[in-house]
Amino acid sequence: MKKRTLLIGGGAALGVALAGFRSRALAQAVQVDPELPVYAPVAGISGTLKSIGSDTLNNLMTLWAEGFQAAYPNVRIEIEGKGSSTAPPALIAGTAQFGPMSRPMNQREIDAFQQRFGYPPSAIRGAVDALAVYVHKDNPIRSMTMQQVDAVFSKTRRGGHPTAINTWGQLGLTGEWANRPISLYGRNSASGTYGYFKEVALFNGDYRDEVKEQPGSSTVVQGVASDIAGIGYSGIGYKTADVRSVPLAARPGAEAFDATAENAYAGDYPISRFLYIYVNVNPTQPLDPLRREFIRYVYSRQGQEATIRDGYFPVPNAIATEDLRSKRII
Amino acid sequence: MDAPTRAQTEAGIPAQGARQRRPDAIRPDDLRAEGEPWTWLLGGALALGIVMVLGLLLLVAWNGATTFWPRPIEVVTLTDGSRIAGEPVRSQAFRPGPQIIAELPPGIRARIAADGGIADRTLYRTGNYDLYGDDFRWVPDFQRSAAERPGDMVLIERLEWGVFVGRIVGFTHDGERTTTGDPRNPALEAAYRAARARWAEIRRIERGEIGTVNHHLEAERLRLRRVLLGDHPPAEREAAERRFAAEEPRLTAAYQRLAAAAQRLRAENARDTIILQEIGGREVTLPLSAVVRLVRANDMTLTEKIGVYLSRWWEFLSEEPREANTEGGILPAIFGTAAMTLLLVIAVAPFGVVTALYLREYARQGRITAFVRISVNNLAGVPSIVYGVFGLGFFAYIVGASIDRLFFPEKLPSPTFGTGGLLWASLTLALLTVPVVIVATEEALAAVPRSMREGSLACGASKWQTIRNIVLPRAMPGIMTGLILAMARGAGEVAPLMLVGVVKLAPELPIDGFFPFVHLERSFMHLGFHIYDVGFQSRNSEAGKPMVFVTTLLLLALIFLMNIGAILVRNRLKRRFQGSQF
Repeated sequence: MKKRTLLIGGGAALGVALAGFRSRALAQAVQVDPELPVYAPVAGISGTLKSIGSDTLNNLMTLWAEGFQAAYPNVRIEIEGKGSSTAPPALIAGTAQFGPMSRPMNQREIDAFQQRFGYPPSAIRGAVDALAVYVHKDNPIRSMTMQQVDAVFSKTRRGGHPTAINTWGQLGLTGEWANRPISLYGRNSASGTYGYFKEVALFNGDYRDEVKEQPGSSTVVQGVASDIAGIGYSGIGYKTADVRSVPLAARPGAEAFDATAENAYAGDYPISRFLYIYVNVNPTQPLDPLRREFIRYVYSRQGQEATIRDGYFPVPNAIATEDLRSKRII
Repeated sequence: MDAPTRAQTEAGIPAQGARQRRPDAIRPDDLRAEGEPWTWLLGGALALGIVMVLGLLLLVAWNGATTFWPRPIEVVTLTDGSRIAGEPVRSQAFRPGPQIIAELPPGIRARIAADGGIADRTLYRTGNYDLYGDDFRWVPDFQRSAAERPGDMVLIERLEWGVFVGRIVGFTHDGERTTTGDPRNPALEAAYRAARARWAEIRRIERGEIGTVNHHLEAERLRLRRVLLGDHPPAEREAAERRFAAEEPRLTAAYQRLAAAAQRLRAENARDTIILQEIGGREVTLPLSAVVRLVRANDMTLTEKIGVYLSRWWEFLSEEPREANTEGGILPAIFGTAAMTLLLVIAVAPFGVVTALYLREYARQGRITAFVRISVNNLAGVPSIVYGVFGLGFFAYIVGASIDRLFFPEKLPSPTFGTGGLLWASLTLALLTVPVVIVATEEALAAVPRSMREGSLACGASKWQTIRNIVLPRAMPGIMTGLILAMARGAGEVAPLMLVGVVKLAPELPIDGFFPFVHLERSFMHLGFHIYDVGFQSRNSEAGKPMVFVTTLLLLALIFLMNIGAILVRNRLKRRFQGSQF
């Protein structure tokens, strides 16, 4: 489980390369791996492209679909995103060709898929997300450890923090903050973000009952933005000027890292993850042109630029090539 | 009567006898004497209701109407010497934390302390997401050393990456670079218009002509697949394969010719660029064709401002959404909402009216009819999401999947009717609203005077003739009222739709130029869901907020228009039968 924290060698190198770009005065947006190919449309692609799944990936799927449609004007697009758990049933029932998920499929979902088709579903790693812990913009907290995050959000405290954390004072804040109770915001249980945060930040423990479950990632951010004592978790793509992401440290005493692209690539930021798109790829047959081209588009320079436009981090060419090879697309 | 009745006492009406018996009883000129307190209460409740409704409407209308008005761009010099530029969005007071205050110079510290530890800050929309990695920024007043509104600052709405805020440095036309900081440069304007015209032409080629070619290609592919799937004789299979082999290269060649034409225009567009500079000095080169609108935010006459305002509204009403629904227009959502509501009325009107007619006119009034009536009324109380689940399970998964197996086997495993779509959504909402129509129709039928029916029957008309010519026309206004209620409820419903066909993005309208022209199986966009989506699901909720208000305003306007239309029809009907009263 520790090695869920990301990536392979190429990613780390990209992180180092990126550090040079950062401007001093203003935050610099992330850059796409220049080795990624520029997408060139091919002839005769049309049909309906339907995606059902993650809410975290909702906007990103939409951006990809918009870009894809610009290349293939009469591909019909339909995008639905109500939570990662809705993706496997849709893929199994065949109501969607793509199932975006913000967490990997669990064994039960894979088994159900395999029972129906006889082969496991294929995953495409479309983008990198740093799951950020947000607080109100006026909150002076400097950093938190994962154990503190666990003690704030969970009632089981598997992370090992000795006491439950109920006030901001227990996280080291002083003055008017010392007695302010912490107000918790989170996602509903259909969400992949909910599942991933539970697994990694709560060490598979249980959420507290006080967590206000929100229907969307953006709603969590809005909740924290309007509640000075609020804390919540969401993808880094949903950050606004009204909230601040808290730098996180993996252990007490370890260095805390902010949710930036470099830290996510290098694996320093403790809760970074891949965002997946699941596809039903029959290993004995070639992929149909529509899906093949969409996957190629996702792994093109334009496709990965869309991940930045949505606030996520692009994947490097090494991962793109690996995934394309395994699906025998190139 | 001597003692007051129970009802009189409750209503506060004193009886004669009571006043004589009790010296402290209410005097006749007291407000309570006439039951006035109740009138006041009713009036007060009405006033409160009106104030709340008007308040909500005004809030939506004001926020919606001002969203597209061009705002000035402020260039703010911060105390550390750096500068930022952006539209001021809103200001608020806040209490800076001790860490922030500790870093401030003593003068400012004293001023904040004098204000009770409170300072102001302003949110700027700085745009330039591609350069900064964020597009909004809070600036506390004590960090601001100067603010100005230079005339050459422009706001550029782009096809991608949101808005750009900065200055124009120059432009290239046909690869030749001209340096100019003037947004009104006539050569720049001419190049811009030409680039946009080419962009529109590319879109026309891609959407229209290439779209047609692709559609035919897909149709050929499906035709072949259909033949190969069925158990046709080998000769027929070979004929189908030959046909496909002949058609495919022809269509592919047509595609390539059109694609090459579009590519030529694209190459021309790539040579016309605009060079921009953000406030920090970094330069950005942008194809002129990717500029949706160039707003000289600080240097506009009132007429120009109105022009920008109207053109933004027009884009909003007539274009497809861009950038994951946060920009561009909402035409597909408007169309989807209207189409779904119309289909809903078409489905619900005959069902509701026929049911009510039978219940009221033909059925023997007994235990069974009473039971049916109670069931209908109970249906009206079922939560709408339950209808959504039913619609998904029954319409999409059972009915739709059977239709797919029977009529569209060549498209499987991609579902045609076997998933949510316009038709299933309308039918689900029709189920949801049918009780309203039944109840209203029954009431309207009951209100037709018995004497009229008897007159008609006495003249020798059959029962059906009576209903058709006497009862139904007289009941029509009441039936229309039921339909209006059903329509208003249906158009505002979102929860069940999320299950049966409304999606975040489906830019293609359910109507196009290909047979069968109306595509009821397609998923669609809906204004109500769009509000939810933009408000709670978009990347930057700050940027999404104004769009929420505009979309809400539009949804209200659409429902209002449909209701007005139905009321006009009803009034016409009413007038028509006014003269024929006994």
